[in-house]
Amino acid sequence: MGDLIFSIHSWPRAILHIDGDAFFTSCEEAIHPELRGKPLVTGGERGIVACASYAAKERGVERGVPLGEAKRRCPDLIVLPSDYETYSLFSRRLFNILRRFTPQVEEYSIDEAFADLTGLQRPLKASYEGICRQIKQTIYEELGITVSMGLSLTKVLAKVASKHKKPDGMTIIPGRAISAYLKNLPIEKVWGIGPATTAYLHKMGIFTALDFARLPEEVVKKRLTKPGVEIWRELRGESVNPVITEEKSTYASISKTKTFAPPTSSSDYLLAQLFRNLESACLKARDYHLSPRGLFLFLKTENFHLAGCELKLNRPSSYPLELSPLVRESFFKLYRPDTLYRATGVVLMDLFSCFPLQYSLFDEVTKAEKIRLLYEAADKINRRFGKHTLHLGVSHLLEVCGKGKRGEPTCREKTLLFGENRRQHLGLPLWHIEV
Amino acid sequence: MKRRTLPEVERKIGAFFSEHRRMPTYGEMLSLLGVRSKSVVDFWVKKLISRGLLEKDAKGFLRPLKKSFSLPLVGEVNAGFPSPAEEELRDILSLDEYLISHPESSFLLKVSGDSMVGEGIKPGDLVIVDRARQPKNGDVVVVEVDGQWTMKYFRKRGSEIILEAANPNYPPVKPRQEVKLGGVVTAVIRKYHL
Repeated sequence: MGDLIFSIHSWPRAILHIDGDAFFTSCEEAIHPELRGKPLVTGGERGIVACASYAAKERGVERGVPLGEAKRRCPDLIVLPSDYETYSLFSRRLFNILRRFTPQVEEYSIDEAFADLTGLQRPLKASYEGICRQIKQTIYEELGITVSMGLSLTKVLAKVASKHKKPDGMTIIPGRAISAYLKNLPIEKVWGIGPATTAYLHKMGIFTALDFARLPEEVVKKRLTKPGVEIWRELRGESVNPVITEEKSTYASISKTKTFAPPTSSSDYLLAQLFRNLESACLKARDYHLSPRGLFLFLKTENFHLAGCELKLNRPSSYPLELSPLVRESFFKLYRPDTLYRATGVVLMDLFSCFPLQYSLFDEVTKAEKIRLLYEAADKINRRFGKHTLHLGVSHLLEVCGKGKRGEPTCREKTLLFGENRRQHLGLPLWHIEV
Repeated sequence: MKRRTLPEVERKIGAFFSEHRRMPTYGEMLSLLGVRSKSVVDFWVKKLISRGLLEKDAKGFLRPLKKSFSLPLVGEVNAGFPSPAEEELRDILSLDEYLISHPESSFLLKVSGDSMVGEGIKPGDLVIVDRARQPKNGDVVVVEVDGQWTMKYFRKRGSEIILEAANPNYPPVKPRQEVKLGGVVTAVIRKYHL
């Protein structure tokens, strides 16, 4: 059964999926050579493991485990606060290296990308395998991190391939070999198949990706929704989802959340965090010239329960000052003084492009215009001196007690170079060695 | 009536872009360029696109390309002579581009020791280190020797590597074990004032 051939032609398309190996800790190891090979986790500021190095994984430390539990499993574990500034710099470099080989690069997440290599053998004077090897080597030489790569005919298959061997893996699935790789792959491991679809497919007696790919087209079309049919096609080697090169130029919603450790029940602190979420989300919305028509606020309790509420706005606004009375009022409806909270979050929903802004007859137009002008000036100041230089009084508490990372600041935050300030750093990763 | 020129149109759109951080609509370009018809706007937009200064994305929205509006923009020039400044400004390198030739493999390092003072690299200086560059004789390199990181001149005689400090207090090092090369120093930065 495993020798069923889906695609006779080996490479109708060549799609590469690239996935960083324990990306956050790998970045830390690249700038702190003394940490190489040691059991290491990031996520110190959130109280749970955000990313565990392979040395830590060997000792039984996994992503999502509370830090106390992780320390019990591995007493010499090194816990670092997440340094997203450095991780983003590495991420951008990773994508730029890919772009040296092909212009068609999709930045899928901070450490994942798709790249279309179709037809590049001749200009790059190498086989697809050779190109992959070169990319891998360049990333290792220049960034000092390893990645796992998967090359196949479609995005779904490329993801199957990159997961096949990790870390530092390189798996190539040409058309003829598809079924061999799908044979032992549980259906729930396929990209895009969630728990609900898995349960449904199990009822139909489908347990492996190969079982699924072998279903006749009529059955798939009758039983599954459009995304399901697309996954079925892609598993059979028919490329449906193209590599999307475009940067995001608009959003349907914008969300900002913040997890902090230790959990707290201080209303001042929570309100400050919530307003900082609001300020950050609104800032991004204004950057894209969007305004929300609705808001969703939430508080996450210590045991991961969500208390949230949705607000409808009578007029779209991306100015925290206008939204603040509403947000404050809703916060106190959600807030229970005897509960410990670990995260706050704001989602701006139902965004739409707000130019030109139309006021209604009953709006206080003068006041609204004043606020708009105020934020125009505030944005200028913040662009010049760094994000949140000018902020609401409620969120000022964070400036005093250090951005809510009540644990250790990151290494980068501790080494302020001459001429830098707390909000603006040079755009190169800082290497932490003594010479 | 003054004739519109391409640099002038580009500058006006560029100024709009740097102020609003988005491209103007055709409607906004009417007043921006002082024209009465959108077909005239379209004429100039097409011209900018053909010169590679603008592009349209998949949805047809305008987007500036890197080489156009990120450049410093000169002010209004009213003189009858063509201003050489506009032409000259095309070829400006930013300090970033000047100091960092390989942006993907360059890292910052703050110097703490005095092993390279003779080379003018003092404690507290920032150096840019290219991790992927192969060292040549005489390059300043960052290496790990016997578990210790250090910054030295790289000298190679035959197959023998000698690491030399630019400070008489440190004798040259002939590593017995394997040397682990961290990278080659490509620039030194010292900032005196804020």
